[in-house]
Amino acid sequence: MITIKDLKANVETDDAKDGETSIEILKGLSLDIPEGEVHAIMGPNGSGKSTLSYVLAGREDYEVTGGSVKLDGEDLLELDPEERAAAGLFLAFQYPVEIPGVNMSTFLKTSINAIRKQRGEDELDALALLKLMKAKCAELGIKDDMMKRAVNVGFSGGEKKRNEVLQMAMLEPKFCVLDETDSGLDIDALKVVADGVNALRDPKRSFLIITHYQRLLDYIKPDVVHILANGQIIKSGGPELALELEKKGYAEFVGEAA
Amino acid sequence: MPEALQINNLPTPKVEEWKFTNLPRALPANLVLADAPQEVVIHKTSGQIGKKPEEIVFTAGDNEHTQPHLKITIEENAELTVIERQSGEGAYWKNMISEITIGQNAKLHHIRINQDSDDAVQTNLVHITAARDAVYNGFSLNMGGKLTRHEIHAEIQGQGAEVSFNGVNLLSGSQHGDTTILIEHQAPNCVSNQFYRTLLNDKAHGVFQGKVHVHQIAQKTDGYQLSNALLLSPDAEMDTKPELEIYADDVKCSHGATTGQLDEEPLFYLRQRGLSEAQARFLLVQAFVDEVVDKVESESIQEEILEITNKWLETALKA
Repeated sequence: MITIKDLKANVETDDAKDGETSIEILKGLSLDIPEGEVHAIMGPNGSGKSTLSYVLAGREDYEVTGGSVKLDGEDLLELDPEERAAAGLFLAFQYPVEIPGVNMSTFLKTSINAIRKQRGEDELDALALLKLMKAKCAELGIKDDMMKRAVNVGFSGGEKKRNEVLQMAMLEPKFCVLDETDSGLDIDALKVVADGVNALRDPKRSFLIITHYQRLLDYIKPDVVHILANGQIIKSGGPELALELEKKGYAEFVGEAA
Repeated sequence: MPEALQINNLPTPKVEEWKFTNLPRALPANLVLADAPQEVVIHKTSGQIGKKPEEIVFTAGDNEHTQPHLKITIEENAELTVIERQSGEGAYWKNMISEITIGQNAKLHHIRINQDSDDAVQTNLVHITAARDAVYNGFSLNMGGKLTRHEIHAEIQGQGAEVSFNGVNLLSGSQHGDTTILIEHQAPNCVSNQFYRTLLNDKAHGVFQGKVHVHQIAQKTDGYQLSNALLLSPDAEMDTKPELEIYADDVKCSHGATTGQLDEEPLFYLRQRGLSEAQARFLLVQAFVDEVVDKVESESIQEEILEITNKWLETALKA
């Protein structure tokens, strides 16, 4: 499904040292997620977790300096962010962006139809969209009146993350990246979001879950856990690796690798 | 009562309130001077509720100098919606005065749609008085003219009155649009709102000067002012001067002013959800405008305005 090989990326920076205008964050990251699997990436602050999610999604302030990313054989790095979305990549943002003046239903309609159009599919009409929206909202326990509100404006932390899962459910991507979905959530909200994600697990869909803490992985069981440090995967293992990490802390693993 | 501008005594940028707007330089050379103002009177007597909006059109032709004098009087407990349309052909100077009097507990919705010709100059001095519990709800769409100056002086004279000035400026080419507002709170417990959004394309130049003056007697004043400008081109320019002058000690006043480009964060978010860059830009800029148009009470007028603004956006954002 998704194959990342020796990925290197820089981020532009303002506080340049020695005349450098960018810093290398990803230093040769390799990762292979087969179809239907859920992989988790854990790592300390500054290890490159969020950079990885932005680089995969194609954010412009990141410069890829080496390596490759392929989704079902297609070179993602060659594509614009919207083309990556159409190819099946979905990023659930750590901080979903507020968009004043654009209400949820307009946003979802525009998004779904933009993706369908890129894929050469017919656009959904208003009625079909409304039905889809209602069904998905009901599944996720989202009240209909949220559809009239501006995207993420005034949403609570839980509502924002549920909204990300709603979009994921509606856009039916092949590959989902969840960037610290657990941040800012209480246990109840975390369960709702995790249930939403679990409902989307499918033999044809893969997930990459980026997190600081093991807690989220109690609810979304990963097949493989990777530890990211200094821009590289330093260790991979089964779900038990997350528990071990929680017990020992990152320092031990990072030390081991160095 | 405001004084009309005189051609032999025009304000220059040396006058503080005119420092961003050079009127003498913009006036057409071959003006045929008007001899008398043209008066338009709209009057609602006590308790009369206007069910339909009253529409007025001000036009002018090439080389004309017109001096419209609009008088709107809404007596106590009356209510009216006025739609004022500005249009014309060729190069002209519309030198307009608007005199608006709102009586006790009376209400005026005032929609102004300015689609003056490309070579037009329009100066519009508006004077408003609001009595006790009066409501003035103004919306101005400014997109016409080579140079326009919409200058409002509002005097809130009675307790409990509420005045709102909302506006959208859509300027392109070398257009110059100036909105200058002075609100005087002369009575306690009154509310004033200013909410303007400006889109500037090409080499357009926008000006927003807004001042809230709270007199000592005007305790419990609630004054709010916000001007946001979006620059769609590197050559566009915005001058903003927000001011508060407060002499009462128990008031709530705020002002904010921003000038900038579209934020990258929402653009990226929308593109991650499949929208092309052009589509994402359009949606965000449209939302920026719509939030002000939303303040217009009548939905049918809102729709008409959105149709006009969307057409402008389609041209302006064409890559």
